[in-house]
Amino acid sequence: MIRKLLFNLILMLFSIMGSSYAQDRVITGRITSSDDGGPLPGASISVKGTTRGTTTDADGKFSLAVPGKPTLVISSIGFSRQEVEVGNRSTITVQLQSTNSDLEEVIVTGYGGVLSKREVTGAVSKIKGTDIQNVPAQSIDRAMQGRISGVQISSANGAPGGAMQVRIRGVGSITAGNEPLYIVDGVQLNTQNTNSYASSNPINFLNPNDVESIEVLKDAAAASIYGSQAANGVVIITTKKGKAGRTQVKFNYYQGVVEPIKYFDVLNSQQWVNMRTEAFMNANPTQSRTWALQQVLGILRYPAATIASLGENQLQGIVDTLKTYDWQRAAMRTGRVQNYEVSLSGGGERNNFHFSSSYNTQDANVVGVYFKRFTSSLRLGQKLSDKLQFEQSINLSTTTQGGQYASPNGGSFLGSAAFGGPVMVPTNAIYNADGTYANTPQSGGAVGVVSHNFILSADYAKITSITNQLVGSAALVYRITPQLTFRPTVNLDYRIIKGNYYADPRIQDAYSVQGRDSFQNEESINFLTNGALTYSHQFGEHSINALAGLEYRSDTRNGTSGTATGFPTSDFQYISAAANYTAMSSFWTGYHRASAFGKIDYNYNSRYFLSLIGRYDGSSRFGANNLFGFFPSISGSWLVSDEAFLKGNPVLTELKLRASFGSTGNDQIGNFDSRGLYVGGANYNAGSGIAVTSLANPDLKWERNTEIAAGLEYGIFNNRIRGQFDVYDRTSNDLLLQRQVPNTSGFTTITFNAGQVKNRGFEAEITVDVLKTSSLRWESSFNFSVIDNKVTKLYDGISPQANVDSLVLLTAPVQAGNTTVTRNFIVGKPVYANYAPVYAGVNPATGRAMWYDQNGNIVYTYQTPRDSKYLGSDFANIYGGWRNQISYKGFDLTAFFQYEFGRRVNNSQGVFLIDDGTRNVNTLTSVYNNRWTTPGQITDIPRPYNGGAEIQGSSYISATSRTIEDASYIRLKQVQLAYTFPKALLTRTKILQNVRVYAVATNLLTWTKWTGYDPEFLNFGSGNTGAIPQSKTYTFGVEIGL
Amino acid sequence: MNTHMFKRVLATSMLTCGLFACSSLVDVKPKTAIDSSTALTSQEAVNAAVNAVYDALQSTDLYGRDLIAIPEVLSDNGRATNNSSRLVAEYQNQPGSHLINWTQDYYGINQANLVLDALPKVTLTDAQRNSYMGQCLFLRALMYFDLMKSYAYMPTAIIPEYNRGGVPLSLSGVLTLPQVLFPSRPGIDEVYTQILADLTTAIDKLGATANSRGPAYATKGAAQALYSRVALYAGKYQESADFATSALASGVGTFQSKTTYVAGWRTAVNPESMFEVNFQTSENIGVNTSLQTTFTTLVTLGNTATTGGFGDVVPTAALLADLESEKDAAGNVLDIRRQLYELGTKGRGAQNIETTKFLGKNGTINLDNVPVIRISEMYLNRAEAYYRLGREADAIKDLNTIRTRSGLTEKTGLTGTALLDEIIKQRRLEFAFEGHRFWDLKRLGRDIVKLPTNLPFTDYRVLARIPISEINNNRNLKQNYNY
Repeated sequence: MIRKLLFNLILMLFSIMGSSYAQDRVITGRITSSDDGGPLPGASISVKGTTRGTTTDADGKFSLAVPGKPTLVISSIGFSRQEVEVGNRSTITVQLQSTNSDLEEVIVTGYGGVLSKREVTGAVSKIKGTDIQNVPAQSIDRAMQGRISGVQISSANGAPGGAMQVRIRGVGSITAGNEPLYIVDGVQLNTQNTNSYASSNPINFLNPNDVESIEVLKDAAAASIYGSQAANGVVIITTKKGKAGRTQVKFNYYQGVVEPIKYFDVLNSQQWVNMRTEAFMNANPTQSRTWALQQVLGILRYPAATIASLGENQLQGIVDTLKTYDWQRAAMRTGRVQNYEVSLSGGGERNNFHFSSSYNTQDANVVGVYFKRFTSSLRLGQKLSDKLQFEQSINLSTTTQGGQYASPNGGSFLGSAAFGGPVMVPTNAIYNADGTYANTPQSGGAVGVVSHNFILSADYAKITSITNQLVGSAALVYRITPQLTFRPTVNLDYRIIKGNYYADPRIQDAYSVQGRDSFQNEESINFLTNGALTYSHQFGEHSINALAGLEYRSDTRNGTSGTATGFPTSDFQYISAAANYTAMSSFWTGYHRASAFGKIDYNYNSRYFLSLIGRYDGSSRFGANNLFGFFPSISGSWLVSDEAFLKGNPVLTELKLRASFGSTGNDQIGNFDSRGLYVGGANYNAGSGIAVTSLANPDLKWERNTEIAAGLEYGIFNNRIRGQFDVYDRTSNDLLLQRQVPNTSGFTTITFNAGQVKNRGFEAEITVDVLKTSSLRWESSFNFSVIDNKVTKLYDGISPQANVDSLVLLTAPVQAGNTTVTRNFIVGKPVYANYAPVYAGVNPATGRAMWYDQNGNIVYTYQTPRDSKYLGSDFANIYGGWRNQISYKGFDLTAFFQYEFGRRVNNSQGVFLIDDGTRNVNTLTSVYNNRWTTPGQITDIPRPYNGGAEIQGSSYISATSRTIEDASYIRLKQVQLAYTFPKALLTRTKILQNVRVYAVATNLLTWTKWTGYDPEFLNFGSGNTGAIPQSKTYTFGVEIGL
Repeated sequence: MNTHMFKRVLATSMLTCGLFACSSLVDVKPKTAIDSSTALTSQEAVNAAVNAVYDALQSTDLYGRDLIAIPEVLSDNGRATNNSSRLVAEYQNQPGSHLINWTQDYYGINQANLVLDALPKVTLTDAQRNSYMGQCLFLRALMYFDLMKSYAYMPTAIIPEYNRGGVPLSLSGVLTLPQVLFPSRPGIDEVYTQILADLTTAIDKLGATANSRGPAYATKGAAQALYSRVALYAGKYQESADFATSALASGVGTFQSKTTYVAGWRTAVNPESMFEVNFQTSENIGVNTSLQTTFTTLVTLGNTATTGGFGDVVPTAALLADLESEKDAAGNVLDIRRQLYELGTKGRGAQNIETTKFLGKNGTINLDNVPVIRISEMYLNRAEAYYRLGREADAIKDLNTIRTRSGLTEKTGLTGTALLDEIIKQRRLEFAFEGHRFWDLKRLGRDIVKLPTNLPFTDYRVLARIPISEINNNRNLKQNYNY
């Protein structure tokens, strides 16, 4: 049915192209505001039933070419919409009534289309650029966190400009990607994150302050115009555009500091020795404390000859003289944030422009990690003729990131400051008395598991990742007739990544190989072209808007990488000086997508709205038998408050109902996952080798996402209370799953369509004007989302676990930033299930750790997965934010809270920190103070035991329910206080148009039960182990407009 | 309107717009890989595919580390130091902490099977065909043997109540989903029969292969040597002795004298090796899991000032005591193999005596070729086989070949269990830290006397656990007892 419509539409559009239309005439007019009777600039005027329109200038004036006797639709945000019959008049004056309604707010819907909020039939949320202005965040997604219902945004770690994750209405895919489609000024971004040496974000290229608005298409109906890329929702970002009038110059500067949110309280040297001594005694019950102290001092490198003859008191005397060194505070630091911006914006009759340039730097709260970015962007609009309009946008950026030692995603790397800080044995000195580094590799390294002086490593290693990016688009708007517009565009997202990791020969890690250098050079070329015809027509009370288009995208990536070792001295940092080339590689990968799409919006009397969308997509990623997929949707809405029975109701000012059903697709898998391939690199004895690494699946097809959704938009008491409620039921079918096959076949998995995940949710947004007087305003906005996420099916042939719970569980790889992580999926439970043994505490008689076996009996030894239980999920099912804005005269104060509940996750760093003496690492003071020491003692911290596992017992330093914690939190995310100087004062200067000073604090307060550094992190392979935690920032800035 | 028609309309409109040529635009071929269905159609490709089978052995799960280190630490030779906390659970014989060679061995087996399937279809000379076939069968036999060592009882010591059979036999290549089978476990003997059959063919097909191909590649001598070992494990003593004799005469591997033996461990290729897994510079396993880092903190001999690896597994007191059990009148240790152990550094905690059999002998730290079969084993295999066959005099002769070469005195008059125990003791000393000990104790059905606690032969943990995912995805496959 829909295909037929689409087909007819295309034919219709082609046939219309040739038709002629009536002669135009020009009318002029002026629009004023009911507030003060003054001119209303920026109001939009359109000829009803056409795409023809204009906006008023600074004096509220406009002129517009119109055919015949048109009806003009005049609207402006914050004012009631008005329709005016022009008749034969050639000038008109209209006053618009002010209201709190946002029904006339312009919503960007894709492919050059805009709708007023009144006309939207799907679930679309919008953030205005002004809401996130000057938040010290390097990427726009970070600034969006907590601001929209149904959109969950989390940062992978606290690295500035680091990886983020955006999940719209839950998680639908297991193995395929869950990232939404990002579109910046029409450019569909390549959101693949491939930087090897720094945690990065593909939208770092954009200065968040350049953003005019962000529209998030949340339900399948709204998103389905993007078909196969839209299963995870669509984020449309529009950058600032020049407006007609005098050229505006704006300077903006802020600077501030970055601070760690939290430090752990860890043992001093005496406590540490005592704990290890106990551990040795407990593991060797026949030995004396003297012997145990000798063991520990031996570890601390006291020569055996010296200590062998000493008694317990003398040994303790040595221990008492040990100094404690605070490695954690050496690893973490107070860093700096700086941001400089300048923008020029303006335009005339035929053109408009907006230029901006910025420089931003931010340090992480961990040594050696930083972010620097320079951006420049230009947006132009040029009217070539009455029928032709040219639009162009170009964003250039260069970003340099100082990467984290060993891995951008953290991990238990011995040279990593973020990991080593709290666990370093505290007796190790950082510096010698003369200020040089202590515990260098030459001197044998530091004592203990963390044997690297990681402060030295951070100082001497040079880890950088440079991303140079060009994101540009050009569009031609051709108004063939007043009803029909053709809009072809070309778009490019071009990126070069240059990573380099130079490990100085003086660094422990590279000492034995005399220095190591690794590099990554990558180029990614994402080219997109499309052309869309738009047709609008009005007959009587009926109005039709139709769109049809074709699109082609080619996204390819190629690169080289290599590693060499053996550098003469630390002064030689390029591979030309290296003695051994240890690795060398190059690659190419890519995919193509070709699509046809169409959309028909119909409304009756601007009260009943219906929208039909269809998209037909082909992707090279799929099996030869299933290259193409069709994704239709239907949605409708009813503006109830415009009905006679409600119009003018004093209580219920606004009421709109929406409902939709739609289907979208997902193809976020490897470019060649459907193919059976022999790959190279399986070399042996300097002979090249090829090996088969993947099973062919010529039937591989689209993962399909269907969603039924409904919404209610309301305004009460003249919109003093307003907002919306949404419900949805989203089902992801034919998942692109890494299905396991018997390894006896020589393979472990095949990419296979199987399984099902459901997300059902409720979302609420409510905004209240708590106070609203001429000088004092307090607006409070609250949003809330709850999701019931469930894996409902895996694949046929998977057996339940062989234990009493008999859960059907699949451990599958999940895309996480620049890597993949294996996670558990259990039928009937939310995604990312924790599946681990349950800790039963400490036997008060012996101090031994105990667990429950599968039947609930207390045991000393557990087996995984036999004794494992489902222990919640690493999926936050409740999240949202609360924003308060109070303005009084020139002051405004914003306080923004963000919250997340329901997430349980393994505190992998905590596994290291509960290590009470099993090996040579430091531990938390609270663990030390509560360790079992005497029979009868009731505690949940086992006695220290060298080696960790008691005889016939499991190690108590492992990921069990002991370290799976509630990661829920509420956070005062942002507080901003700003003062805008009065216009009256500024006009006297004759130069200054606008001066605003502001102070912003982020992550000021956090309420959580989480015991690690910070509950906000994502598992990108190592959990929170060695991940850079979030930081607090305090910034102060000034904005000047000329 | 059906989909087909829609596609036609779509294609037409694409042409109309001039934006698209045709829908084949969405056909993108990988440039760094080739289609598996047509990959093995030339001699060059087959040759490269054979290399990939050897390459599979380099995995950390196989000869990269585990097949060498884990049998030491599971048994009474190796003690985990807890320096990096790696292999501690294996040392403690925690359930499930064992060999995990299942997946990687079957991966290699499939690569070999695909070559074997392709051989009749590709244009090759007879010499090429025989060589490829011989190599693949040798490697397949080695991989099945390694699987059987971990996951099944050995024919000479079976606990019938716990016995769940051998490992599934997959003998033809898999490229597509319909070819993926759900096999059950055959009997132990069936698998050993298959391994010996593969080796018999391999010995035949490798007849024309030059000895100089060894020890990095399969040779006839290597296949004979492996046959001798498999037969010993299978209790086929006459065959074990016979193939040991053939292997000794094959010219592959050079039995070292007392004066050159220790030096043989300092060169990239051990002159004793009949088959060893080669590692190139780019294949360095690195500081976490290479054999060098696993066994020693040293970077160079005698230099305790510079710390390299973790030294996670060091000799037990019992092993050192055995090495030092025979001394001259002055109290000096006689056994020259003791020279392969020395004091490590203090860099990772307490100083320990560590083995230096893997010390970056390929010229770079953490880079060592890994001997799989050394010629000395042939004497010890044969000694044991002769003993089992009642030929004690011949057994003592072979035993003394090893003893005198090691600097020990000739034994005379040993008989019965005492003789067997001395042969097993020499096996322990000769192959310590080469991945033999656990299997020798297992095939003899002996309890393992060790710290922190003993592991009786009757304990289920003697067998490795088949990967859980394997059981979940193949209903025909039985897990080992009590896992």
